[in-house]
Amino acid sequence: MRVNRMGKEQLGRPGSSGVAIARALAWVGIGLGIFTYAGCSTLVVPSRSGQSLRVSEAVEQGDPARRASMGLVVQGLDADGEYRFRRAQGSYERAIQVDPTNPYAYLALARHHLDGGDFTQAANLIDQAAALFEAEGIRSPRVEVHLVGLRGWECDRSGRASEAVPLRNRAAAQAPDVWGDGYLRPEELR
Amino acid sequence: MASRKPVPGERRVSKGSPRPGRSRKRASQGSGGWLLRALGAAGIAIGFAFGLGLAGWVLEIDRVVVERFEGQRFSVPSRVYSAPLIVYPGTDWQRVDLAGWLLRLGYRQQPEGGRLLPGRYEWLPGLLRVHLRAFGHPLRPEPARELEFRLASGLIDRIQDARTGATVDVVVLEPERVSAFLGEDREQRDLIKIEAVPNHLIGAIFAVEDKRFEQHHGIDLQRVVGALMANLKAGRVEQGASTLTQQLVKNFFLTPERTLSRKLREAAMALIVEARYTKRAILQAYLNEIYLGQRGSTQVHGVGEGARLYFGKGVSDLTVAESALIAAIIQSPNRISPHRRPELAVARRNLVLDLMFAQNRISARHHQAALDEPVRLAAISRENGQARYFLDALSQQLPDVYDADVLRTEGLRIYSTLDPRIQRSAARALRSGLERIEAQMPEPANPAAPLQGCLLAMRPQTGEVLALVGGRDYGASQWNRCVHARRQVGSVFKPFVYVAALEPGSGPLVTLADFLDDAPLEVETPSSPEPWRPENYDHEFRGRVSVREALERSLNVPAVRLGQRVGIARVASIAQALGVSSPLPLVPSLALGTAEVTPIEIARAYATLANGGRRPTPRMFVDVVEPGGLATENRPLQGSVPVLDPAAAYLAVSLLEGVVDRGTAVRVRAQGMRGPIAGKTGTTDDEYDLWFVGFTPELVAVVWVGFDDPAPVGLPSSRGALPIWTDFMRDVVGPRVRGRFPRPSGLEPLEIDPETGALALAGCPRRSEELFLRGTGPKATCPAKAVADQGEKPGFFSRTFRRLLGRRP
Repeated sequence: MRVNRMGKEQLGRPGSSGVAIARALAWVGIGLGIFTYAGCSTLVVPSRSGQSLRVSEAVEQGDPARRASMGLVVQGLDADGEYRFRRAQGSYERAIQVDPTNPYAYLALARHHLDGGDFTQAANLIDQAAALFEAEGIRSPRVEVHLVGLRGWECDRSGRASEAVPLRNRAAAQAPDVWGDGYLRPEELR
Repeated sequence: MASRKPVPGERRVSKGSPRPGRSRKRASQGSGGWLLRALGAAGIAIGFAFGLGLAGWVLEIDRVVVERFEGQRFSVPSRVYSAPLIVYPGTDWQRVDLAGWLLRLGYRQQPEGGRLLPGRYEWLPGLLRVHLRAFGHPLRPEPARELEFRLASGLIDRIQDARTGATVDVVVLEPERVSAFLGEDREQRDLIKIEAVPNHLIGAIFAVEDKRFEQHHGIDLQRVVGALMANLKAGRVEQGASTLTQQLVKNFFLTPERTLSRKLREAAMALIVEARYTKRAILQAYLNEIYLGQRGSTQVHGVGEGARLYFGKGVSDLTVAESALIAAIIQSPNRISPHRRPELAVARRNLVLDLMFAQNRISARHHQAALDEPVRLAAISRENGQARYFLDALSQQLPDVYDADVLRTEGLRIYSTLDPRIQRSAARALRSGLERIEAQMPEPANPAAPLQGCLLAMRPQTGEVLALVGGRDYGASQWNRCVHARRQVGSVFKPFVYVAALEPGSGPLVTLADFLDDAPLEVETPSSPEPWRPENYDHEFRGRVSVREALERSLNVPAVRLGQRVGIARVASIAQALGVSSPLPLVPSLALGTAEVTPIEIARAYATLANGGRRPTPRMFVDVVEPGGLATENRPLQGSVPVLDPAAAYLAVSLLEGVVDRGTAVRVRAQGMRGPIAGKTGTTDDEYDLWFVGFTPELVAVVWVGFDDPAPVGLPSSRGALPIWTDFMRDVVGPRVRGRFPRPSGLEPLEIDPETGALALAGCPRRSEELFLRGTGPKATCPAKAVADQGEKPGFFSRTFRRLLGRRP
């Protein structure tokens, strides 16, 4: 408070433009500090490709088991993209065999089951993925958008339209390129 | 014969009046003529009856032949395969037993300098080269490919495709064949089509068993005469003359007895088979039927299974020399077994090769090359009897259409969740653990009713059963204790009491900073006029104990007291939500585990805790594939169901980590295990049942030890079941466990005064961190006066940082 009062007094003085600039710079500095402190990623308007998570971003992360598991998730998404659904399911299950705590594997398998019309399975897997993302401390907005979108998709297909609409709208608002159509393609998650 | 020729005019005579001259003659012949006529008639009748009988016999034989040939010819046991082995850079190749996998799958060491053919491998310094065979699962096929595994410091450092040089991230290796659902005949057979059989194998069999197969009609008369002469000359039976058709008929329809009637029947059947079916169909049936030796107690039939038994490969991959060896042992598979009498087998193989050459079935070059080829047999892969318990449990999980008869005869391929390496570790740990316990028992156990045990391992996130050993010896007792034996669970049940008290639905009734009263207690029970007075295992009372200490020391009295506060019905309800499905008596002693529960239920309930309060469904098979390659049944991986608040589940995990770090299961640490491990011991009254259930972030395993007819084991769980668990776990995951238990949101760590459970503020002499459901931390503070009251309000940055660190001001 004392500082502010002093500032006002100084501003009122004629010919103190140097001080004013210094003060402005200081505020800018403080602002940048807070900006950085609060986490730029949450404040920056995401680029269109960065609105939602892609599995390929995480393939090089983690220990060898996680990396191998991620490789299998990518193989599964590729197979899903080529309509080789059983092959894709096998890849996801193997990804989980290699690393049962890999949230990306459950996320991709949930997407796979939704695409295949198995909504009950998908709902459980979405929850499992969410729990694991959270436990790993990586449940960022870019992850959350998929969890919300998949839940909306699941509610919609299960005939719970009133629950589905807000979820789908939320996902679409955050990642219009990916969730604008209410559907997550394998290549959009890959 | 003369009597059967018609006499001219005879018919007429017999119809008209007799002439005088003739009548005289007939009169002179008298009774002799009548006798002849009677004999003739009888002959005709007998001949007719014989013909009729013969026709009936032939028709009957024909019916039998047709029925067998056109119905289901072979009972093919359904086979169970393991989960695939998956390796990647960073894999500890010795721990996953990569070398053992190669041997069990029939891969063979590459001879010096040759090209690396499919199914071969080569160890070089720091390098393993393998030519993987294709794996023909209809939905998840893997191609044949040549890979190089660079090895460094006990790990796979890099994997490369040998042809393209491309880096390979992850390799899925073919599942192992675990076992089969055998019928009473205990026959193993891998049905093949004749198109898959190489010509040189057919040529080898023709050369030594039936060189005129393509010319004769079921019986080779030329060979019969030759054999007859030879045998007469030798004065004993030296040579046989059975054709392939006769051998097939004998094996298919007849008993091995050596009687004339059996031989006649065999000959007739061979003729009928040849008349009715093509040579190709007969040969295919023969190739699938022929007996080729033993694998343990099971009989190996057919060249498909024979190729796997002796060379660990498919029949189409057999070389000329290997084909000759298979043909060589047909005569007497056990006497000429290349495993037991290699010299004899090689000598006969060479004889077959000579015959093939002499009959122009192979060229001189192939003949010589085959003679020079050393015999490289696959390792003898005996069926692991311990996997039979897994099979029994699996068969119960399959849909009803797969009944025992279908499983024994239909030749299905069932892909399971079993991890053969983990299964072997489980069997080994249980066997050696039981022997160790027996050695410590004051009196030797009755050999007729020995000490028993079971070990089951499950992946908590998916419920996949990775190993199941349901008893000590499947041969002696098929009772699957992991799945069927309901036994008192003792203290293994106590965590459910604590979970019921910690979860938000109960208030929560207690937090980890609370204290319980360990003092004499009387509980009224409806079944007894006397109150029940629970005691601790050491008959001591400790007064006030923390919640952690109460569970870590497995104290009975605080657990009963807590159970009474929560309500036994609520405790039972939580246990059932976690995965216990056995009936739970609603009595005060339930808190001490007086209920009888199966090990698989306990594994599932603890898996729910390890999985953040999400209950998995036990899963033992992935899919079922028909012999034609069509996948008929698919059991996709099921997500788990949320049944408990994740934060409460984590608190339970944290308590159970304490049991391992400081409590009754500290032996786990003493035996060198490091990393995130949680678990609970359980010993019932008089040490009848010993339990240990423990888990890491990726694996839950339960061990039970006891007698089938309950009797004291004479040891507590920490010296009985726990060492078995630790042996098993160390073998499977190594001494350092990977990962960490995922901590959900909804928890806040706070510093408390461990003496009082109060929130530790600045100036508190003792402090330790404890976890709380958000908003349930202690209200009291240490020192009793809060810092704020002393006039020092925390500043902006202090408050902000505290908030960021999740600590309450």
